[in-house]
Amino acid sequence: MIKLSNVFKEYKLDGEIFAAVKNINLSINKGEFIAILGPSGSGKSTLMHLIGLLDNPTRGTICVEGKDVSKLSDSQLSLLRNEFVGFVFQQFNLINKLTVLENILLPTIYSKQKFSASPEERAFSLMERFGIKEKATSYPNKLSGGQQQRVAITRALINNPKVILADEPTGNLDTKTGDKILTLLTELNREDKITVILVTHEADVAVRAKRKIQIRDGEIVKS
Amino acid sequence: MQYLLFLIKGSLEDFRRNKGRTILTSLGILIGVSSVVLLMSFGLGLKKYIENQFESLGTNLVRIVPGRILSGGGFRSGPGAFGGIRFDEKDVASLKRIKEAEYIIPVFTKTITASSGKNSNIADLYASSADIFLGINLKTKYGAAFTKDDVEKRSKVAVVGPKIAAKLYDQEVKALDKIIKVQDQSFRIIGVLEAKGGGFGGPDLDSFVYLPYKTAFSLNPDKKFMVIIAKARTKVDLEVFRNDIKKQLLKRYKEDDFSVIQQAELLSAISSIFSIINTVLVAIAAISLLVGGIGIMNIMYVTVTERIKEIGIRRAIGATRKDILFQFLAEAVFLSLIGGLLGLTVSFLIVLLVQRVFPAYINLQTVAIALGVSSLIGIIFGVFPAKKAADLSPIEAIRYE
Ligand SMILES: Nc1ncnc2c1ncn2[C@@H]1O[C@H](COP(=O)(O)OP(=O)(O)OP(=O)(O)O)[C@@H](O)[C@H]1O
Ligand SMILES: [Mg+2]
Repeated sequence: MIKLSNVFKEYKLDGEIFAAVKNINLSINKGEFIAILGPSGSGKSTLMHLIGLLDNPTRGTICVEGKDVSKLSDSQLSLLRNEFVGFVFQQFNLINKLTVLENILLPTIYSKQKFSASPEERAFSLMERFGIKEKATSYPNKLSGGQQQRVAITRALINNPKVILADEPTGNLDTKTGDKILTLLTELNREDKITVILVTHEADVAVRAKRKIQIRDGEIVKS
Repeated sequence: MQYLLFLIKGSLEDFRRNKGRTILTSLGILIGVSSVVLLMSFGLGLKKYIENQFESLGTNLVRIVPGRILSGGGFRSGPGAFGGIRFDEKDVASLKRIKEAEYIIPVFTKTITASSGKNSNIADLYASSADIFLGINLKTKYGAAFTKDDVEKRSKVAVVGPKIAAKLYDQEVKALDKIIKVQDQSFRIIGVLEAKGGGFGGPDLDSFVYLPYKTAFSLNPDKKFMVIIAKARTKVDLEVFRNDIKKQLLKRYKEDDFSVIQQAELLSAISSIFSIINTVLVAIAAISLLVGGIGIMNIMYVTVTERIKEIGIRRAIGATRKDILFQFLAEAVFLSLIGGLLGLTVSFLIVLLVQRVFPAYINLQTVAIALGVSSLIGIIFGVFPAKKAADLSPIEAIRYE
């Protein structure tokens, strides 16, 4: 479904070229639950942004469902980000001036997909499932971290994505709350057949994943 | 449609959050739009005023006055101002022989005391032929104007302007069929005229008492006229007409004894000078719109910088470059339009006040221009900040703190 071949992401720092991600060859299949593991600064987030089409590689090719994404236009890439992937970030990345419901509905405004249920109906059924229905009209900065992350997950799911990309989704949460979020992601993978890619530096978070990819200094050392 | 609503709602909410900033920014546009609109409305008012004056002077008309003057003044000025001669019926008859002449209208004026019996007032007597009503576009509101027959039969009838009618008889309509006394002679009022307006230095036609000129010989024992109004047939060159009149009168008078003046021509020259001045003033006022536009550009750059993170988030969840561009462009246009609408409101209020003394007015075209120009300013000055927002790399924007 997603295939990376010889992917590099290089930055110029003080005249020297620094590769945050090097020579990545990776195939992600439908329905997988993958954990990307590695120490801080090893390039996990960079890799995730590449997979999620937020960033483009300096070398190598990324194919999504057989299509080379470097050949796609801005609107085609945006459409893939909108409908194909859903992001969950460590810092939640919610827009604080919008209500919870408005945040969740934001991806539907940029979408041309047709669903049988209206965006509001979908939003409410997801909020109900994740226990944040009462918070629909609250503002994100008035919520607990766990609630904010559930809002972010709801937002990621609103357009029925094929892949969820979660970058240290539990990094800002205590263990108990983090566990609930991880359980939720596991459920989405098992029951909803959504591909989940989980970035983390904690081994005990990664145990839920069927496949683990170890990364060090931008390179895959074990997969 | 839904998308447009979303853009509008988003912009309005951002304005609500930054009320002070929004108001200050749109103030620039407000000032620009209101100065442009006010100047345009004053220009329109001036044009209307001059057109009214034109109408009261009549088109295709020249006035023949005694004495030598260089340009047109108020035609009411007494003979003293112009020197020796006064015209008589012979002149009228000789001028009527000019083939381009449609009407030759003799005019005798005199300051009189008019009285209804109950009220009396100083007024101007305007004695002329029946053609005067068509010649200078006077229309009756009640009753009818006097006719050629009235002139020839020296009927004791009068037509009055609406102002003097109201003064003497309380209401214009009540003047009809009443007897008006002019210097102790009685005349029956057969018509009340429609208001002409004017009176800014020009003749106040609404306060005149009009009599058939032959009837008025009783008040004008010398049978002389101060002015002769000559109307050319349509499509006759007024310059040719003037020369023919001069030729005709030179048979009897000397060059310096009379003048043939063309006030309409003068007014049209004045009118075109004013419209040029007005255009220049509007253009100068438009500079303040430019300044307002720069204010919008400035604030939009600030807004974009403040919202880099938000832009990154929107990009990550699927907003295209165009979506971001339109979002900020819409905001700039709304900001400018708010200023434009407020500017229009302010101008409307000022024009409403000014209208008591000057016929300034705002037409639909002015409103359309004001709104069009403020949208355009929003687009022109919003497009660079919006483009900056759209061109942000999604990944750098979302990592921005
Ligand atoms: N825009 C950039 N310019 C230069 N260097 C960058 C840039 N973005 C990332 N890097 C570098 O790339 C490397 C990988 O960064 P990345 O954020 O992917 O690490 P990470 O594995 O996610 O770390 P953490 O676990 O702390 O989040 C780091 O050394 C970082 O300094
Ligand atoms: Mg990271």
